Amino acid sequence: MLEVRNLTVRYGSSTIVNDVSFDVARGEWLMLVGPNGAGKSTIVNAISKGIPYTGTVLFEGKDISVYKPIELARRIGVLAQGQRVGYSFTVGEVVRLGRYAHKKGFFSSGCDDDTSVRRALEITGLTEIENQSLLTLSGGELQRTFLAQVFAQNPQLLILDEPTNHLDLVYQKQVFELICNWVKEPNRAVISVVHDLDLAKCYGSQSLLLDRGRIVDLGKTEAVLSQDNLKKVYSMDVYGWMRERLARWSD
Amino acid sequence: MKKNIIIVLLLCALLLCGCGKNEPAQSGYTVTDMTDRVISLDAPATRIVALSASDCEILFALGAGDTLVGRGEYCDYPEAVESVPSVQSGYETNLEQIIGLEPQVVIMTKMGQTVEQVEALSNAGIAVVVSDAQDIDGVYRSIALIGSLVGKSAQADALCKSMKSSFENIDSKGDGTETIYFEVSPLEYGLWTAGSGTFMDELASLMGLKNAFSDVVGWAEISQEQVIARNPDYIVTIAMYYGEGATPVDEIMARAGWQDMTAIKNGKVFNADSNEISRPSPRLVNAFESLYEFVYGA
Amino acid sequence: MEHKGGKKEGLSVLTYIALSVFTLVTMLLCVCLGSVSVPPDELLSSSIILNVRLPRVLCVALSGASLSLCGAAMQGLLKNPLADGSTLGVSSGASLGAVLAITLSISIPSLPFAGTMVMAVLFAFLSLIIILSLAYKLDCSLATNTIILIGIIFSMFASSMISLMMYFSSDRLRDITRWTMGTLSGSSYTNALVLLVTLALCAAVILSRASELNAFAIGEDNARHIGVNVRRERLIILIAVSVLIGVCVSVGGTIAFVGLVIPHMVRLILGPNHKKLLAASMYCGACFLMLADLVARVIVSPLELPVGVVTSLIGAVVFVFIFFRSVRSRHA
Repeated sequence: MLEVRNLTVRYGSSTIVNDVSFDVARGEWLMLVGPNGAGKSTIVNAISKGIPYTGTVLFEGKDISVYKPIELARRIGVLAQGQRVGYSFTVGEVVRLGRYAHKKGFFSSGCDDDTSVRRALEITGLTEIENQSLLTLSGGELQRTFLAQVFAQNPQLLILDEPTNHLDLVYQKQVFELICNWVKEPNRAVISVVHDLDLAKCYGSQSLLLDRGRIVDLGKTEAVLSQDNLKKVYSMDVYGWMRERLARWSD
Repeated sequence: MKKNIIIVLLLCALLLCGCGKNEPAQSGYTVTDMTDRVISLDAPATRIVALSASDCEILFALGAGDTLVGRGEYCDYPEAVESVPSVQSGYETNLEQIIGLEPQVVIMTKMGQTVEQVEALSNAGIAVVVSDAQDIDGVYRSIALIGSLVGKSAQADALCKSMKSSFENIDSKGDGTETIYFEVSPLEYGLWTAGSGTFMDELASLMGLKNAFSDVVGWAEISQEQVIARNPDYIVTIAMYYGEGATPVDEIMARAGWQDMTAIKNGKVFNADSNEISRPSPRLVNAFESLYEFVYGA
Repeated sequence: MEHKGGKKEGLSVLTYIALSVFTLVTMLLCVCLGSVSVPPDELLSSSIILNVRLPRVLCVALSGASLSLCGAAMQGLLKNPLADGSTLGVSSGASLGAVLAITLSISIPSLPFAGTMVMAVLFAFLSLIIILSLAYKLDCSLATNTIILIGIIFSMFASSMISLMMYFSSDRLRDITRWTMGTLSGSSYTNALVLLVTLALCAAVILSRASELNAFAIGEDNARHIGVNVRRERLIILIAVSVLIGVCVSVGGTIAFVGLVIPHMVRLILGPNHKKLLAASMYCGACFLMLADLVARVIVSPLELPVGVVTSLIGAVVFVFIFFRSVRSRHA
């Protein structure tokens, strides 16, 4: 579905992402993992056309720069990190904007749109607060609002930058289960940046481990998040610490 | 641009305040200026900087143009004044420039000075004389003051006398029923008129006309509707004509909604020389004469 | 209330009717009242009404609607509640263009005012581009502070350019700028027609971009992600805004406060959704400026106040009132 070839992103003289290539196939959930500053978010930003890059990014065999913004938005949905809001739009208004790419005519706001919006609000648990102002939301509610917007957008490829940031455990679980089910439908794939290696290991079918802009390993999550790889990248015994933490949870 | 309005408003306020009423002392070389300041000089002044256009005009009218060593930037009459070095005047008065010209006396208006400026000039050994005429009487006093300053009191007396006779020696005089409207700025920039306490108002009353806006004080922005409703018998504009488009008179004649006014119907619209009619200088006589000719014919 | 079903986001038909009626009543009031009182039976035949007051009220209403619409559009586009023609330096830029046209005697034969107008529009647009690209260079998130700071600096630059030109050019320019850059007091039907056509065109462009403006107001990145052609839409909106501000400045001079405060007040009442905000701002801007102009015309009759003085006075008081009320109701 998505092919990334020799992606390089420079900012001034420093290279943030260096010659990264990977594929995402249908039904896959690719986890971008790595320590802070590895370039995970930068890759996401490059694909979602926020920042300039060199290399090629193909979606369904065509370069993404060929697509019109509106065509791309029907295919790729992006959940960015750290939304800042200024005006007091309501939750419903933001989610409804997700249908922007699907509006047909001038005034059309078909029932098709409405059901997508309703469903997106429902599955993110926002129906109750649909008419509430963004300015009054908690960080978690805000994150779910924009998540609902991406769902309403109904894309084939979902790109999520830290989707469970600000979310408490209940919603973390809910969101990940949601995406897990979502990607099971035909012709869909997910790329997400996650910090939590636990979540990456649980839900990612594939993983891309990055360190200082370069690929350390790419492939099945099981193989990529190996003891050696993580030790190298994080300079600590990740497995040991995980086990130690888990041990405290035994009854 | 709003600042300009403030300046005009300030000017109006000053007009209200009036000015010193004392007759200037004629004896010796001690003169009292129009803010009652006494200035002593050893001899008649031979090096003068005059910042306002009217004071330059008075100096030249008294035959003392050669005493000018510096002039305000807006001084433009008579032509000979253009060869005198120009200094910045008004709010941006350039003290260094003035001191550099080494004058004995600086003549300025009340508005054109601040306490600090006067102090700085005095410290440099330069006497500051305020000439601040707000009415025709004030012009006579300005002339007398400047005359005594340059030792030409006799000429000053003669000039005042000739002005007085020009103002009084008229054949016909209205009875104050006919009205005249003075337009200071054209419609395009918002209508401004000259109300009471202005030279235009005074000139009109000298020939027996009533200023249509005598209830307004000084120069002020007025409503176009009021001009139409007050329906003056004469319209005088002091707008400048720059040689393109309609002349100020034609522009007024063609204004929408003005066509039924008496002055427009009778073609009684006149473009006066704005400098002659608004400066406290001897040329007020010229303004008076052309206005008289416009109203009563030659 | 009307969007509880989640289908309709714009103003309801009833609201439109109410706003139109209110605007018409205001207009009628402003035509009937003035410095000179005209008896009711002469209203339709009086030359003062037909030739002086009506064209002025029309121009004032159209300017008010235009300026508010521009303010609302820019505040949404830049996600910045302080954006407005005056705070961004666009109005000063337009003035600079107009002054330049007068200085260089740029005119189009048979259309005496077109030269000034074209230059004002052109410079309004150039100013916007300069200000925004400078702001982007300094801070690509277009933060409120950066953009306002650059706007103010640009305003000062444009004003000093005007002063500089006045210093070096003829007495004529000195004359023109002495009495503020234009005024609505000499408005003609031609002016009203020019404003009407411009407003109709630009409003069609801007109103049809309510969704895009909503997206921009939430965030430029978000707009990009949902499929808005960010670059193109922004350019189109900026052009429409520049044209409208340029024409307003060349007809009536710079009128502060309307574009900044009206959209803000409407937003406090109706919320930030541009599907309501844009149209409602136009109505409210028209009414507000008509009433302000009415006060300017009658309060010191026979004198007249500059309308900017009144807009700032009334606007500030009304704004504080609405602001406090909305804060209180939010806490209640």
